[in-house]
Amino acid sequence: MVNIGKSVIIKGELSGSEDLTIEGQVEGKIELRQNVLTIGPNGKIKAQVFAKSIIVQGEVHGNVTATERVDIRDNGSVDGDLSAPRVAIADGAHFRGAIDMQRQGVKADGKPESKPETGKAAETKPATSSSTSSNAPQQQPAAGLAASSGR
Amino acid sequence: MRTALPALFPWGSRRRGEPEPATIAAPAIPETTAASKVLPKFLAALSHYASPALLDLGPVIGANVAFFGDRLACRIQVEDLYADIEAQARQDAADGLWQAISKRLTPHASASFDGILCWDVFDYLDRATGQALAARLASLLRPGGVLYGFFGTTAVELLHYTRFVVEDQNTFRQRSYPATPVRRNVLVTRDITRMFDPLAVTESVLLKTSTRETLFRKPAG
Repeated sequence: MVNIGKSVIIKGELSGSEDLTIEGQVEGKIELRQNVLTIGPNGKIKAQVFAKSIIVQGEVHGNVTATERVDIRDNGSVDGDLSAPRVAIADGAHFRGAIDMQRQGVKADGKPESKPETGKAAETKPATSSSTSSNAPQQQPAAGLAASSGR
Repeated sequence: MRTALPALFPWGSRRRGEPEPATIAAPAIPETTAASKVLPKFLAALSHYASPALLDLGPVIGANVAFFGDRLACRIQVEDLYADIEAQARQDAADGLWQAISKRLTPHASASFDGILCWDVFDYLDRATGQALAARLASLLRPGGVLYGFFGTTAVELLHYTRFVVEDQNTFRQRSYPATPVRRNVLVTRDITRMFDPLAVTESVLLKTSTRETLFRKPAG
């Protein structure tokens, strides 16, 4: 399990093959197609999000796609479209958008799903851009995660 | 003219100094369970679609998303019109309500939904706004599509909104939450039929709660 702390701001593309918890801010795109993504209570995401399973406790602006399940917890907030075979939205959660719950496997952006690669990173791009808030040290993505600026 | 009428017809007016009649207030509804006779028909009408598109005009309710997702493997678009109604009521700006609703529904193309869940939203709308919304919803439905709604039959002051939480295809729970008071717009069956033209009423059941549960269908082709 990898944790992105609440002082970390990532702008660009974030991908990997480990479960990930985000307490910071991410703008761009997040891909964890074989893993669980948790957006913690402090997490603020402005991105297209793809993962096996997604738990939202913080804020997401963007479309969210999961191959198994999306779970918006109490106080979680999503402004965007959800796509997953199973969706759970808690009573205190905020959601605005559309929900697509087709039974067949969800294939984000129409691409076939890749086979799971356990124990190593799905992508090996080095972290080229990861900006942090002024009073916090820059944090490199952990092994199994790759962040790229996409610019 | 209106002020002269009481002088001409004193038996129809209140005596000077007589207090205004008390407004009948809708009783607050503790969470209750109610049987539905029309919801199974709504589900049956959508069951032959591979992945129907639903438009839900109520607040987001996780249990309903899970229910309709499991039953229909559908795409659900949530547009909470009650939020717009409440926002306008708080501003005491009924004139802006249709603009707010229209703006919310504008992104959706005509004939883009197979089913629409109206719940009891028309109870909170004035006649003109209701008429405009009914016409817009009729255009949003695909041919053969169905619209499900409730219509109160008693003219009361509505002090709450209701969340309709579907438990199973025959049962839903009603949870109330506070509303800025608004007089219910009571529609008789004839008005409802005209308002939703060209949709046809296929089921209409008067519940014990004096609410009419109704299913409309858009004629195919």
